[in-house]
Amino acid sequence: MAVQVHPEPARTSRLLSPSQILVFPAILLLVSFLVLPLLLIAVYSFYSTDPVTGLMRPEGTLEQYQRIISSPIYRRVFFRSLEIAATSTSIALLLAYPVGYTLGRFVPRRYQPAALLLILVPFWTSYIVRTYGWIGFLQNGGFLDSVLSLLLPGRVQLDLLYTRAAVLIGFIHVYMPLIILPIFAVTRSLDTRLLEASADLGAPPWRTFWRVTLPLTLPGIVAGGSLFFIAVFGSFVTPQLLGGTGDLMIGNLIADQFGEAFNWPFGAALAIVITLVVLLGLVVLFRFARLEGFNETAVGQ
Amino acid sequence: MTRSDVQYDVELHRVVKRFGTLIAVDHLNLAVARGQFLTLLGPSGCGKTTTLRMIGGFEYPDAGEIVIRGQPMGRTPPYRRPTSMVFQNYALFPHLTVKENIAYGLRERGVDRQTIERRVREMLDLVSLSGLGDRYPRQLSGGQQQRVALARSLVIEPAVLLLDEPLGALDLKLRQQMQLELKRIQLRVGITFIYVTHDQEEAMTMSDVIAVMNHGRIEQLGPPEELFERPKTRFVAEFLGAANVLPATVCAADSRGACLEIAGRSITVHESGLQAGDTVFLVLRPHWLRLTAPDSHESVWRGTVIDRVYRGPVMTMRVALESETVLNVDIPSGTVPSPQLGDTVGIALLPDHLCVVRE
Repeated sequence: MAVQVHPEPARTSRLLSPSQILVFPAILLLVSFLVLPLLLIAVYSFYSTDPVTGLMRPEGTLEQYQRIISSPIYRRVFFRSLEIAATSTSIALLLAYPVGYTLGRFVPRRYQPAALLLILVPFWTSYIVRTYGWIGFLQNGGFLDSVLSLLLPGRVQLDLLYTRAAVLIGFIHVYMPLIILPIFAVTRSLDTRLLEASADLGAPPWRTFWRVTLPLTLPGIVAGGSLFFIAVFGSFVTPQLLGGTGDLMIGNLIADQFGEAFNWPFGAALAIVITLVVLLGLVVLFRFARLEGFNETAVGQ
Repeated sequence: MTRSDVQYDVELHRVVKRFGTLIAVDHLNLAVARGQFLTLLGPSGCGKTTTLRMIGGFEYPDAGEIVIRGQPMGRTPPYRRPTSMVFQNYALFPHLTVKENIAYGLRERGVDRQTIERRVREMLDLVSLSGLGDRYPRQLSGGQQQRVALARSLVIEPAVLLLDEPLGALDLKLRQQMQLELKRIQLRVGITFIYVTHDQEEAMTMSDVIAVMNHGRIEQLGPPEELFERPKTRFVAEFLGAANVLPATVCAADSRGACLEIAGRSITVHESGLQAGDTVFLVLRPHWLRLTAPDSHESVWRGTVIDRVYRGPVMTMRVALESETVLNVDIPSGTVPSPQLGDTVGIALLPDHLCVVRE
């Protein structure tokens, strides 16, 4: 029998409820410090630069974008950035997943806050300090070399500093909590009876992982992975401090345009391009991962 | 009777399970015959769910042995046991459709695609869910999810199906309907069912055999009518259905019967094995008693009606005896004239409808 439920009539003609009003400060903050600057950057990217004075000329041109497309250097740096971001994201996912999973599943609930703190304290420490730390650790005759010479006979030199490997190590170390935390969150809300049900139906542990655990923790993997990827993709400090000349990333190019070359329109165009690429990537990813589908039951409970 | 007369699907030999200092299951012995519908019934914390989980392999006993189809299970993991479990909250995979949920176990067994298709269709038919195969669990009602869980377990043709309070989350009407349906399905597939519940009515509706559990042990095991008509302990008498339980002293006893002194009267029971001076309990179901005129020669006790509770088909009269004991007596609802509050009435026993138990 169908029962018609009449919606309650609106009690007042007030435009906004108190909870809606409470959102305003946050919106104001976002608009003034994110949306407006971004719009400004977008506007700058259509400006041109006076070749003599180097000053911006507000005239509405596509020349900055033409320069990006026509020059192979920018394309190379762009793809290198993608490659560094993708490599470090993959390695970080492999390393962080077991950590987040163990934390969410096997560490007793009352110890979880302490364990999280251990992961977060380094994260709250300055990015620069931690990256400098790696210099001392990786440089020739540094900590790593000394330890290795003690363990192995003869003089060992890894020559890791100013290599791609050093850049990857730096990124993975600095941003790993971005993956651990979402993995921890989805694992914590993972219903262990589903794992029991899988075993009950005949699946050995690794099959259960493949067919149940992995799909149900996928939202955490996607969330953590994309946060990490975005953070790395736009970085410029790590490659500058730990990488060689062949490891410069798009972030370095943009920083140079604003900081040293004083070519704001070109820097702005580069920034707009990577922002669009990242946004597009996210849209595709979230569609592909079907995140709207089951996550309210998988994660929401 | 020799062992070969009955084939047991599940046997528990002196099984013990401890959680810290708590003994959840205490030297439990149990044998479940092939094709039987056995219910473990008891209050929460009596060890019934732990027992079920040990049979399924989700917990291992600290001592004792569990044997399934003649094979000692030891520490065999769930995925190598011929059992399957229907979980309390169904535990359906939220990322898989109904069909994929049901096919889960078959895929683990490497069954070919066409056979899976066919078996899944048969199962959907069996649990009356045809046409819903492509939905996700969250798009189904509680009762429908329940059926999917059942189909998912039955499709792998387990030797024993374990059910952990599977109807607990459903409303009364649906629960009653599912009870009948579960029984129908069990008869049709012919698999041994071990069912856990704290609901005595549910247990009586479906079971061939009920094991009433208390403090990690089985208090009494038998068909529902036996447990109801002839409970062996006070706990069983009180847990299954309503009961007046009166303390009694044995005043005399011989091999054929005994004389009991109860609430100021003495009555004779055909119960052997009692000794004069013993303290026992007399169990009187409310519908085993009859109201009479206060001075009737049939009446055993006399008392005053202090409460009348209308329960649909019967009316329960609460009668305070002279000894201040209160007895519940059920009379048919339509009885005219029915005793009023404050009336003095006599209470008579129906012949052979009483039962003597120990503490």
